[in-house]
Amino acid sequence: MIRSLSQRLLGLVIVFFGVTFIIYAMVFALPGDPIRALGGERPISDTTVAALRAAYHLDDPLIVQYLRYIGGLLTGDFGTDFLGRSVGEQMLRALPVTIVLGLSAWALEIIVGLGLGIIAALRRDTWIDRGILITTILATSIPVFVVGVSAQLLFGVRWGILPVAGDKAGWPVAFILPAAVIAIYGLAVVSRLIRTSMIDNLGMDYVRTARAKGLAPSRIVGVHVLRNSAIPAVTFLATDLGYLLGGAVVVEGIFNLPGIGNLLFSAIRAHEGPTVVGISTALILVFLLTSALVDFLHTLLDPRIRHD
Amino acid sequence: MQKPRTVRALVIASVALIGLTACATGGSEPETSDDILIFAGGEPDHLTPGRQTVAFDQVMSVFSPLVDLDAEGNTSMLAAESVESDDATTWTITLKDGWTFHNGEPVTAQSYVDAWNFTAYGPNAWENSWELASIVGYDDLNPAEGDPTTDAMSGLTVVDDLTFTVELVGPDSQFPLQLTGAQTGFYPMPEAAYDDLDAYDREPIGNGPFEMTEPWKDTEEYTVTAYEDYAGPAPTIAGITFRPYTDNLTGYNDVLAGNADLEYLPTAKMTSAIADFGEDHVYSLQAPGVDYIGFPLWDEKWQNKELREAISMAIDRDAINEAIYGGLYAPANSLTAPNMNGDPAGICAELCEFDVDAAQAKLAEAGGYEGTMTIVYPGGSGLDELFEAYANQIRQNLGIDAVASPTTDWAEYWQSLVDHTVAGPHFGHWGALYPSQQSTLRALFTEGGGCYLCTGYSSPEVDELLLEADASQTLDDSYEGYAAVQEFVLDAFPTVPTFSATYNYVTSDRVVELPAVSGSPVLSKIVLAD
Repeated sequence: MIRSLSQRLLGLVIVFFGVTFIIYAMVFALPGDPIRALGGERPISDTTVAALRAAYHLDDPLIVQYLRYIGGLLTGDFGTDFLGRSVGEQMLRALPVTIVLGLSAWALEIIVGLGLGIIAALRRDTWIDRGILITTILATSIPVFVVGVSAQLLFGVRWGILPVAGDKAGWPVAFILPAAVIAIYGLAVVSRLIRTSMIDNLGMDYVRTARAKGLAPSRIVGVHVLRNSAIPAVTFLATDLGYLLGGAVVVEGIFNLPGIGNLLFSAIRAHEGPTVVGISTALILVFLLTSALVDFLHTLLDPRIRHD
Repeated sequence: MQKPRTVRALVIASVALIGLTACATGGSEPETSDDILIFAGGEPDHLTPGRQTVAFDQVMSVFSPLVDLDAEGNTSMLAAESVESDDATTWTITLKDGWTFHNGEPVTAQSYVDAWNFTAYGPNAWENSWELASIVGYDDLNPAEGDPTTDAMSGLTVVDDLTFTVELVGPDSQFPLQLTGAQTGFYPMPEAAYDDLDAYDREPIGNGPFEMTEPWKDTEEYTVTAYEDYAGPAPTIAGITFRPYTDNLTGYNDVLAGNADLEYLPTAKMTSAIADFGEDHVYSLQAPGVDYIGFPLWDEKWQNKELREAISMAIDRDAINEAIYGGLYAPANSLTAPNMNGDPAGICAELCEFDVDAAQAKLAEAGGYEGTMTIVYPGGSGLDELFEAYANQIRQNLGIDAVASPTTDWAEYWQSLVDHTVAGPHFGHWGALYPSQQSTLRALFTEGGGCYLCTGYSSPEVDELLLEADASQTLDDSYEGYAAVQEFVLDAFPTVPTFSATYNYVTSDRVVELPAVSGSPVLSKIVLAD
């Protein structure tokens, strides 16, 4: 037990340094001088460029810059971007928005996806099942950008029943549209997964036995079948949570939500090494946590699975 | 029988989590006031006037310039009582009495001199430092090597509380124009600013019509309200909320839905804006900017003038204007925008006119073109359609295998110009900060001028002609002088003038009148519906 735990920790450290270095090097390798782009369409004078490059240590070799950055990171300093803003503060401001958005979308995936999956399985091969199938296939095949902008135009601009953009209206009103747009893909997958494995399980002997015993159908489906059918969907949902908390660049952009996705997007465009690495590090931690969560849930759902 | 509740527990837990985190971001109630304008814009970079490069609207509402401009490009005094000179080299600036900063500190000659010195001081690396480059002593603050030995420009002298003199490196009749609003490097700063410049960058204390009510926080909107003791003309609105959008199409939809009042029109919406908003709420303002195609003039292949002229004549500017800009742009026929004072419209003549036969003749004269022509532009800036169109027209009209090729971003684009690695003809644009041809001509065609790397063209004759024009005693003389510069440059034809851009804005129904100067709305004079 201790051995497997220490192995996991060692792996975590290696992943941490490896990934931060690779990302730092990638941002470093982006073509062009980020300082020159600060003025947008107007060039910045050579003396200003030189002074700013010196201020941000941009003329140091990659490894020196990286070590300086990691040194700061270990003391809790995420560094500053090229406009002199604290990266840590920016992340703290962006994280809550993304967490709310991600969890809202996740809840929709679970509730709606599970519901559709169960209905489709129980009404197998009826028009309801086929309707759900067609809708979910359609939903997964339309690009999120199209869904997002159309939803914004219909609900926000034409009908005016939900905010067009921004998080000013607070949760839940401001997050309904963006969360729904993000959740469409995930809930389609969840419902397909649930349907398939429930249909498998419904044909099992233990279901027939339970029926013969006279158990209520709601108990058979709700407890026995659903539990045994949940593993694929739970695996998907847990990894999906990692993605959702990584910020949705497109949707955050369309709905002007100042979350992690937006921050990451603008940081990559501005070649902001410290910001990109800082966010990535946070995301790696989320992924490591969610993968641990998956393992844990597996054992909980199916005692036959053991992690020694 | 306890474990089966896992799924249900999962659902409950996630819903609970959302409830918790929602509290963390809980939105505050929006302030609703009928007289507050909501400006849908981008995220500022800095709010310190000497530093901002993309926050003109924000900074210009909190500060007032010495000299004001009207819609026709005429000057009038605003914070200054007078700006005068006998020889156009030494200028005496007298301030109006009674002006105060938003913290109550009086605006004095020292406020200007200190701010200009601080902005110009090389090691501070303030982005608008270059605007002050023609003041005597600027070079001492920006030595090519090593650290400066002084932190004050010798050309600035405080005479008394309200008077100071500025000595320029040469006679320049356009100096009063340089003191107008968009040259934010010429704004004053109060003493309180220097105590904590980072805090000042978030909540600048200015001398303008509006004052900050709260510090600006990243990605969040903030509001400025009318400054009670403002000594200039009182603003027509009670305040402005600056709301940043990462995607300007989102801002467009928000204005369409009436949630915001004013936005710069995204290129992608240029052809549909009038259908969406109606004629009354789309404003097309003549910009002080020019678009052109530049060339890698260090490469022998591109030193062939006839080739550059052939490209210019092969581009159907009117057709591109209709197709991409909904007819809102103006095809260029001089090196400067039409709203530059004394712009010699039409001076480019037939070289800027679409003529396939003449273009092909020029190409033959140039000895043809071998291989692929790569036309480079900065990616991710909404320029794709324009450059595809250029490439198409060159392909169709000249039979050259032309392709449009975006760089990843501005950083890579600038780097390719700095390193001389740009693959072929490339994007070019200059937005003048004051309505004098001097701004564009000096920036693009002299070595010291801000955007020399944009064109890579200079010549001693141009320098000479420019100095002559700058030294003119009357404005009419200076117009003739600048026209002579344009004639000389166009004869060498280092760049292909393509469009004179318009800055286009869409507004909500609340906006009744949108006064503008040099292509930008004057926010303090906007008229809102009752």
